[in-house]
Amino acid sequence: MTDPDHDLTSALASLRPRPPGPAVTAALARELDPPAARRGVILAWSTGLAAAAALVLGLYLGVAPAEAPAPSYQLVRAEQSPANVEVLRPVRLDDGSFARPVRVRWDSTTQWEDPRSRTRFINFRPNETTTLLPLETY
Amino acid sequence: MIDAHADQDWRAWFAEHGARLRLIARQWTRSEADADDVVQEAFVRFWKHQRHLPGDPNALVVTSIRRAALDLLRRTDRRSGREQAVAAEAETMTWFEPEADPCQQALIQSLALLSAEQREVVVLKVWGELTFDQIGEKLQVSPNTAASRWRYAMEALRKHITARAHD
Repeated sequence: MTDPDHDLTSALASLRPRPPGPAVTAALARELDPPAARRGVILAWSTGLAAAAALVLGLYLGVAPAEAPAPSYQLVRAEQSPANVEVLRPVRLDDGSFARPVRVRWDSTTQWEDPRSRTRFINFRPNETTTLLPLETY
Repeated sequence: MIDAHADQDWRAWFAEHGARLRLIARQWTRSEADADDVVQEAFVRFWKHQRHLPGDPNALVVTSIRRAALDLLRRTDRRSGREQAVAAEAETMTWFEPEADPCQQALIQSLALLSAEQREVVVLKVWGELTFDQIGEKLQVSPNTAASRWRYAMEALRKHITARAHD
C-alpha cells in the first residue's frame, strides 16, 4: 500500500524555513552562556589558584636542596706501607718435612678527591698473607 | 530526530533546528518578530529546564513554543482589529528561503491558501515531525481531527498545484 501523500510530503519537506536572525542567537547567548561576571569570578579564582600553586611550587623548589651532582673523584695519592715480615717458628708437616711459616702484613692507602665539593675519599686496605717456606734438613 | 538529552552545545543544536522551530512558532504568531521572540523564550525554557526530562524532546520543545506563543497572544490582545486582520493573512513566502524552482515556489504560495487550522497541522507534521496523536495533544483536538485536517490540506494543495500546472 502506497501513501498518496508521500510525494507531496517530500516536496514540502524540501522547503527550507528561514532561520531565526542573529539577534535571536545573541539573545540566547545572553541567557544560556555563563554570565560575564560569573565567568570573571571563575577566571579570577582560576588565576588566583594558579598563582598560589606557582608560589608554593616556587617556594618548594627554592627551599628544597637541589640534588647534588654525582661526585667526581680523582686519584691524588696512592701509598703502600713497607711490608712487615714475621717469621715464625718452624713446624713439622705430616710428611715429616719442616717448614717455616712466614706472615707478611702491609697496608694500601689510596686517596681520591673531588675538587668541586672539596671532599676526600680515603680507601685504606690492610693486607695480610701467610705462607710456608720449606726448610731443608741435613 | 532531536537528541537534546546529550550534553550538547546549544548553539549547534539551535543551528540545526532553529529554522523549523521558527516556522512552527510562526503558525501561532502575528509577525516574524513575534515568532523570533517566541522561539527565543521557548528555547530558553526548554534548554534550561526541559531538555533532560524523559520523553520526546521534539514534542517538548513544540509544547514550549505553543505555550510561549499563546502567552504572547494574550499579552498583545490590545492590538487593533485592523492590525490583526492584516497579520492574519499568511505571508508564507517570507517563511521560507527563496527557491528558484517554480514548483517549490508554487508550493509555498499554496500553503497560504490553506486554512490556519490545516496549515498548522501540515507544519507540525512535516517540520515538527510529530504524529497525529502528538499534534492532537498540542492543538487539543482528537488525533482523528488532526488526521482529517491533514487529508483536507493535502487534497487542497494537490488541487492548487495541479491547477497551476494547467495554466
